[in-house]
Amino acid sequence: MVFLALTEMRRAKLRFGLLTGAVALLVFLVLLLTTLSGALVGALTGALEGLRADGIVYSDSARDNIAASRLAPETVALVAAVPGVQEAAGVGTLTSGGRVDAESVDFQVFGVDAAGPGSPSGLTEGRLAEAVGEAAVDGDVAIGQVIVLDPSGVELTVVGLLRGAQFNALPTAYTTLDTYDEVVTASFPGLPFVPVNAVAFTVTQDADLSAVVSAISDAVPEVTAYSLTDAVALIPGIESISQSFGILVGLTFIIGIVVIGFFFLILTVQKLRAFTLLRAIGTGSGRLATSVSVQIAIVVLLASVIALGLTLLAVEGLNTGLPVSINVSTVIGTIVAVLVFSLLAGLLSVRRIMRIDPASAVGAR
Amino acid sequence: MAEQNSTSETLATSGGVPALLRVDEVTKIYGSGHTAVTALQAASMSVDTNEFVALLGPSGSGKTTLISIIGGLLAPTSGSIHLGGVDVTGLSARELTRFRAERVGFVFQSANLVPFLTARENLLYVAGLTKMPKSHARQRADQLLEELGLAARAKNVPEQLSGGERQRVAIGRALMNDPDLVLVDEPTAALDTALGRQVVQLLRREIKDRGKTGIMVTHDLRMVEYTDRVFEILDGHLTHVESPTTAGH
Repeated sequence: MVFLALTEMRRAKLRFGLLTGAVALLVFLVLLLTTLSGALVGALTGALEGLRADGIVYSDSARDNIAASRLAPETVALVAAVPGVQEAAGVGTLTSGGRVDAESVDFQVFGVDAAGPGSPSGLTEGRLAEAVGEAAVDGDVAIGQVIVLDPSGVELTVVGLLRGAQFNALPTAYTTLDTYDEVVTASFPGLPFVPVNAVAFTVTQDADLSAVVSAISDAVPEVTAYSLTDAVALIPGIESISQSFGILVGLTFIIGIVVIGFFFLILTVQKLRAFTLLRAIGTGSGRLATSVSVQIAIVVLLASVIALGLTLLAVEGLNTGLPVSINVSTVIGTIVAVLVFSLLAGLLSVRRIMRIDPASAVGAR
Repeated sequence: MAEQNSTSETLATSGGVPALLRVDEVTKIYGSGHTAVTALQAASMSVDTNEFVALLGPSGSGKTTLISIIGGLLAPTSGSIHLGGVDVTGLSARELTRFRAERVGFVFQSANLVPFLTARENLLYVAGLTKMPKSHARQRADQLLEELGLAARAKNVPEQLSGGERQRVAIGRALMNDPDLVLVDEPTAALDTALGRQVVQLLRREIKDRGKTGIMVTHDLRMVEYTDRVFEILDGHLTHVESPTTAGH
C-alpha cells in the first residue's frame, strides 16, 4: 500500500535516510568492485579481445601465451589455406621501452595488417596505421605526438587513438607489420627472419568455428588454434583474477542483500504493534507486505542512484593507472540484481507479517 | 446477589425482531489434551441496534476472548455469531478482514493508533480499506474530528496527543466507516477517572446518536452507569446482570 509506505517514510526521514545511506554504501562497493575488476581484466585482455578476428593461432610451445608464441611468416598462408578460413593475417607483438616528449613509457607494440583480421577495434579518434612509422595508440598520448621506441630508436607518429585495447595493463601501439619488422630488426640485429607471434583468422559465414579451430590445429604443424573467446580466457592469470574479483563482488553482494533483509526485518519487528493494529482493523496481510516491498524498492532505487553517483565520482577521482570506465549494462544489471534480491530478502519481513495474529491487538491469546 | 437472567432470555429482543448481534453458545478452548483451557463456556447474548452494553469481568475471565470472537479476530471452538444476519463464524480469513474493515469499529486499550499517521490520516486510512469515495472520506473525517473536539489536532501524530485525545481519535477511527458494531476494549485503562468518564460519555453519545451497537469491555464499575445493559463474565461463563458485583476483582 503506497500511501502507508510513503507516509511512514516521510515521517521517519532520519531512519529511512540512514537506511538508504547504508544501502547506498553497499551498492557503491559492489559497483566499484565490479567496475574495477572489469577495468583490470579489460586492461589485461583488451588488445586480444578487440581483434577483428574469430580465432587465433599460437605455436604449440606458447602455452596459451601470445608473447611466448613464435611462428614462421609462412604459417599465415598455411592457416589461410585451411577450409573454412576466410582470411588470415600475422600478428607480431613485443614489449618495448619508449619515450613521449622525454617521458618514459613502456608500450606493447603490435604489428598488424590494418585491413585484415588482427587489426584492433575501439578506434575513438583518427585512423589506424597505414604507412611505416605510424601507430594507433591506446595510451596517454595525443594525435600527432611522436613515440620514440627504445632501444630500436624507431619513431612512431600517433595517427589514431584507441580505447579498451590495452594489453597486460600496458599502453598499446598498433603499427603496420612492416613497422613492426623494423622495430624487431633494430632491437635484435642478426635475426634470420622476423617471426610473427600469432595468426589471427576469420571464418567463412557458413563455417563452424570450433570445427575450423580443430582443422587448423590438425592441418598446420606445430600450432594450436583457439577461438578468440578461449584465447582471451586462457591469458595467463586472467582466470584467477576474474575468480578473485568474482568472489569479492559476490561476497559483497550477498552481504549487502543479507544486511538489507535484516534491516527491514528489524524495522518490521519494531512496527509489529502498529501492524497488528492495522491487521485488526481490517488491513489484509497482503497490503502490509506490499507496503514493506514498496519501501524496499524505494530505498534500494534511491540508494542505487546515490551509489551510482559515488561510483562516477570514484572513477573520476581514482588514479589507478587503468582505463576505468562505467559499463552501463553492468551497472543496470547490478542494480536490478540488488533490487530483485532485496525484495526476496524482504520476504523475511513478509513472512513475519503473515504470522501476525490480529487478535493480539486486544490481548486475546 | 445480582439477579441473573437465563441465556435464552437474553437472545430475544422486543417484538420478536432478530437482534443486530446474536452470540449463540460460543465456546472457546485454547490448547488441547491436558493443556486445554476453556476460556469461554457456551456464551450467549444478543445486543440490538442503538444499544450500548458493558461487558464486565476480572482479568482472565474471558471477556477479551469474547470481544475478539465477536469482532472476527478470533475463531470460536464452537457456537456462532450473527451480525445483521451474517454468520461471522462462517467467513473465511479474507472475508473476516473485510468484515472487520467494513462492519466493525474497534477502540483498543493500547497501541490504538498508527504512530506515523496524523489523527486525520488515521481516520482516512480505514476509509481507504473500503470503497468510500475519497472526497466523502475527507469530509467525514473532518466532521468526526470536529465533533470529537479534535479539529485543531487533526495534523498531529499520536505522540503529540494526550492520552484522552488519542482515545478520542480512536473513537473517530472506529466510527469512520459507519460500522454496525463498535467494540471497545478497556477504553479508560490509561486515563484518570475524570478523563475516563468523559471518554465513555462521548462514546455513548456517538454510538447513540448514530444508532450503532456498542459493546464496551471494562473492569471499571464506575463506567457502567453510561451503558444500557451489563453482562458479566466469570471463569468463562457469561451472564446478564442487573447490578454488577464482580468487576474489578
